[in-house]
Amino acid sequence: MTSSQSHRLTSGGLIDRSVPLNFRFDGKAFSGFQGDTLASALIANGVKLVGRSFKYHRPRGILTAGSEEPNALVELRTGARREPNTKATTAELYDGLEAASQNRWPSLRHDVMSVNQLFAPIFVAGFYYKTFMWPAKFWEAIYEPAIRRAAGLGRASGIADPDHYDKAWAHCDVLIAGSGPAGLAAALAAGRAGARVILCEEDFVPGGRLLSDGGTIDGVPAAEWLSRTLAELADMPDVRIMTRTALFGVYDGGTYGAIERVNDHLPSPPQHQVRQRLWRIVAKRCVVAAGAIERPIVFAGNDTPGVMMASAMRTYVARYAATPAKRLALFTNNEDGWRTVETALGAGLQIAAVIDARSEVSPAHRSLASKGGFPVLHGSVRGVDGGKDGVRKIAVSLTGGARAEVEADGLAVSGGWNPAVGLTSYHRGRPKWQNDISAFVPDGAPPGMVAAGAANGDFGLGACLSQGFAAGAAAARDTGHSGTVGIAPAADDEAFSLTPLWHVAGKGKAFVDYQHDVTASDIELAQREGFESVEHLKRYTTLGMATDQGKTSNVAGLAIMAAVSGRSIPETGTTIYRPPYVPVAIGAFAGHHRDETFHATRLTPSHHWAAEQGAIFVDTGLWKRAQWYPRAGEKDWLESVTREVKAVRGGVGFCDVSTLGKIDVHGPDAGAFLDRVYINTFSSLAVGKARYGLMLREDGIVYDDGTTSRLAEDHYFLTTTTAKAGLVMQHLEFCRQVLFPELDVQLTSVSDQWAQFSIAGPKTRDLLREIVDPAEDLSNEGFPFMGAREVALRGGLRARLFRISFSGEMAFEISVPARFGDAMARNLMLAGAPFGVTPYGTEALGVMRVEKGHIAGPELSGTTTAADLGLGKMMSTKKDYIGRVMAGREALVAPDRQVVVGIKPTDKARRLRSGAHIIPKGQTPGPGNDQGYVTSVCFSPTSDQWIGLALVERGRERIGEIVHGHDPLRGEDYDVELCNPVFYDPDGGRQRG
Amino acid sequence: MVDFSWAPRSPLEKALVAGVHGARGIEAGVSLTEIRNFDLVQVMARRGKAADMATAAKVRFGVAAPETPTAVGAADATLIWSGPDQFFVLSKGGKHSTEALAQAFASSASLSDQSHARVLISISGDKARAMLAKLSSIDLHPDAFPVGAAAATSIDHTSVTLRRGNDRDGLAVFNLLVFATFAESLWHTMLDSAAEYGVVIGHSEEF
Repeated sequence: MTSSQSHRLTSGGLIDRSVPLNFRFDGKAFSGFQGDTLASALIANGVKLVGRSFKYHRPRGILTAGSEEPNALVELRTGARREPNTKATTAELYDGLEAASQNRWPSLRHDVMSVNQLFAPIFVAGFYYKTFMWPAKFWEAIYEPAIRRAAGLGRASGIADPDHYDKAWAHCDVLIAGSGPAGLAAALAAGRAGARVILCEEDFVPGGRLLSDGGTIDGVPAAEWLSRTLAELADMPDVRIMTRTALFGVYDGGTYGAIERVNDHLPSPPQHQVRQRLWRIVAKRCVVAAGAIERPIVFAGNDTPGVMMASAMRTYVARYAATPAKRLALFTNNEDGWRTVETALGAGLQIAAVIDARSEVSPAHRSLASKGGFPVLHGSVRGVDGGKDGVRKIAVSLTGGARAEVEADGLAVSGGWNPAVGLTSYHRGRPKWQNDISAFVPDGAPPGMVAAGAANGDFGLGACLSQGFAAGAAAARDTGHSGTVGIAPAADDEAFSLTPLWHVAGKGKAFVDYQHDVTASDIELAQREGFESVEHLKRYTTLGMATDQGKTSNVAGLAIMAAVSGRSIPETGTTIYRPPYVPVAIGAFAGHHRDETFHATRLTPSHHWAAEQGAIFVDTGLWKRAQWYPRAGEKDWLESVTREVKAVRGGVGFCDVSTLGKIDVHGPDAGAFLDRVYINTFSSLAVGKARYGLMLREDGIVYDDGTTSRLAEDHYFLTTTTAKAGLVMQHLEFCRQVLFPELDVQLTSVSDQWAQFSIAGPKTRDLLREIVDPAEDLSNEGFPFMGAREVALRGGLRARLFRISFSGEMAFEISVPARFGDAMARNLMLAGAPFGVTPYGTEALGVMRVEKGHIAGPELSGTTTAADLGLGKMMSTKKDYIGRVMAGREALVAPDRQVVVGIKPTDKARRLRSGAHIIPKGQTPGPGNDQGYVTSVCFSPTSDQWIGLALVERGRERIGEIVHGHDPLRGEDYDVELCNPVFYDPDGGRQRG
Repeated sequence: MVDFSWAPRSPLEKALVAGVHGARGIEAGVSLTEIRNFDLVQVMARRGKAADMATAAKVRFGVAAPETPTAVGAADATLIWSGPDQFFVLSKGGKHSTEALAQAFASSASLSDQSHARVLISISGDKARAMLAKLSSIDLHPDAFPVGAAAATSIDHTSVTLRRGNDRDGLAVFNLLVFATFAESLWHTMLDSAAEYGVVIGHSEEF
């Protein structure tokens, strides 16, 4: 199949002709070689047309040979791995690669939407804003979808990405961006000095422009110096060269973002490997040796396939041995562009002409022209004759006014070079204008970062080497590494001598931003309409807003704006630079955090036992909690939950409550400490007793609640709600360390140390007597309500037993060290078997707490006071505590506050839903008469109807009143009766019995 | 009467499947071993008693308690820094339990048993650092994290204590204490991160 490579040179280049690779583009079979990119392989096969433009559907070819490519975007791969907007210029060729062109229908060659070109005069900047304004409602329904279909780039696969991504950290003294001569020299110096070095190179081969431009370094060919240097660096254990890795962002404290395309060069990643890896690199110093980007000149027809950046053209010829043209012309405004002519002649290609915008050409290049027998035309290109099959003829305006035509099948363009100022500008540094190269160079780089070589505006090979070496040595020295660095590699500097030329006026569309189809006239229009600021220009015309972020277009765009607005380029200024430097897949940012591993999860000690029982789990924060335990034949969750509630109320059940936050409060001042953080008093609590406590925030609003037990004179065991466990620990640590440092108190989270189970129901004691050592007195006298102490269990284990009840039943909580939690669940099943013990989940727990009128998360909503919750009497008047003063504010003690009250529908068959608003009966619902809302509801098996808790204005004074429940979200309206929130056993006889 | 047995069950009991996992055909680059049956006691100085606590530690263990993020090895225990004026005592199960230490620190520190609150995982192998680099923001280069270094840090949003133990067979060994209820979740994350290098999994009571 290699015979199809009609545009491949028979020798040279960094491709391996012994490894042919087959691939398809738009379904057609081609072949290339190992070492090719998709772009170089297409060029080697004579393919010129690779895409259609965004707005006008103009035929487009390959413009560059790097990550700045605006045109050659393809859909790479198929099926779930289809990846839109992939640059052919950076996609490594692999055997079996499949790519498709984008934004065309039915085919690349015959694209229906290319009629847009005929209407081009109206598709100017701001066209959509101006045209599709009325009627406004048409925008979302009609205009926008239609525009999106016509314009746009590739299609996402729409299927979950089957590949894995991960993230990693790296640390170094000196981070280097780019492996061209400057970057390698920096790595050499820093590495020799003994610094830890990371060098990131987005290409798959290190070397940068050395791979394309060659040269002589230290008297040897660049290729030889390159392999010698790489070998020396490879021998340094603390120097790491990361290819396929693009440094894309700079963050605070010397942290950098990089994306490594680990396996993008393979059809799919090998098993257990990731496709891409996101690196966070922490570096003390950074040397930006990211090089420069050659810039186009804006002229009519400059987007014709076959028009290519001069440096890219010689890259294809020299590095890939692929010839974009057989007979090419060069349009340049500087000496560097001429190097493409040298490379082309060396490869045996014909030069049709050189169009040089300058008045003078160096003697060396002038003699090259006479030796090569091609004309040097002083002037500029005013138009290109050609189309989807490429360039045919080039129209030239000669200096002095005459015209000429050049027949060629390719046009290399060099408008000079722009240093890659992205990384140095990400902390709002504004690059500064440098006249001799007519380009912006870095200024105001983030702390610890310097630019070297071409990235710093010094394009000569010798300058790149010496600057890079000096920067690497300085960075190593700054980070405390003083090893001998030796002598900097040396080379000559090439001539550059540029005369700026940005835009050649002429007939036809002249493109500035290829990817977004922004033309020179769009910029002129923006200026006429008042969008002179570069930030306005960018947004109005979308210049530089495509996936390439205007790498080839921004400077030309603002140069044209400067010209039409009568300002200088530095006066016109640059837009703000923001990361990422290259597009980064969202998948890489997500890493492993997707699907079931979206976030870390916490499992209770009895989790796997509950799973064996068939429990349904619910996510509660990070926790997986057993929600209910369905049994065969139960038709829905309500049936299971109702059974569980009845089993507890009629017998005995248990529930894993290990998710509650648990804190050891130690020290002689532990009681005094708790007095200050709770509204009620704990210093008076007897050893062996538990008490319910309520905490306020500083502002007087309720923060959290839970029971706290006194296990010893200087040891309390505090529990929090599941939701606030971490926050309460933080709050208490803050109190301990900052508010009350004078108190001798120590806090330790023991949430994970204890497996804790609630055992509830009238037969609780029967069950416990089975499992607790017979010597322990569990009678009401021996272990009264709110008792708390350690007990021995049968079989030798010791446990903590707390006689507390959330369900309103006779209940205990038992806790054992967490590794015995699984055994505890199994043993509770054994011990309780004679009594029909039933494990219950969080739903039944919730039902029973609503029946009992206990408050929970929905009532502890961050807006309620202790009094709102019916707990005002707990607020001690004999001591100070956090939130006490602020809780006395007028609005927090107002008599018309919304307070917790019970509700039940007047129609016993009606289902309640939380969130419904409470409105006085007979009134039309509205914000003026909204008196509260329903916070918690459940079907109460005990009451045999739905019941709920609500926050209602003056609710406690209105017991017995019928009010209106209004639920506009679900379209429900019904009457409810306000009632005592304690539906079940209001005098508490059961839990005390 | 039912016979109750109280067998402890590791939080990793289900997730940990001993053997070779991940990439095959290469020598496994990572070894993950859960260390079971240990005592872990949090020791926190009472107010103004840090010096007394240090003395008590020296008497009990024969080494000074760490005052910086490091771990100090004693004959049969490791003292791991966990914050200002506090440290963990990690030891083989049964030697230095909370009860056993109570007397020694009675007047100088508060003790909390954390033996069941943490899972202890030992990470070693050629690729241990590469794998940990995916999880931890800590610089684990030998110069930056030498033997004895310890860090209270987080991995995958999970609090952990990471420390470097003594080298084994010329390779670094890292020990990780993670909250027990997070352990299975973190274990899966660690396996994901280690899979490409090949990973040998096991458990042991050897420190």
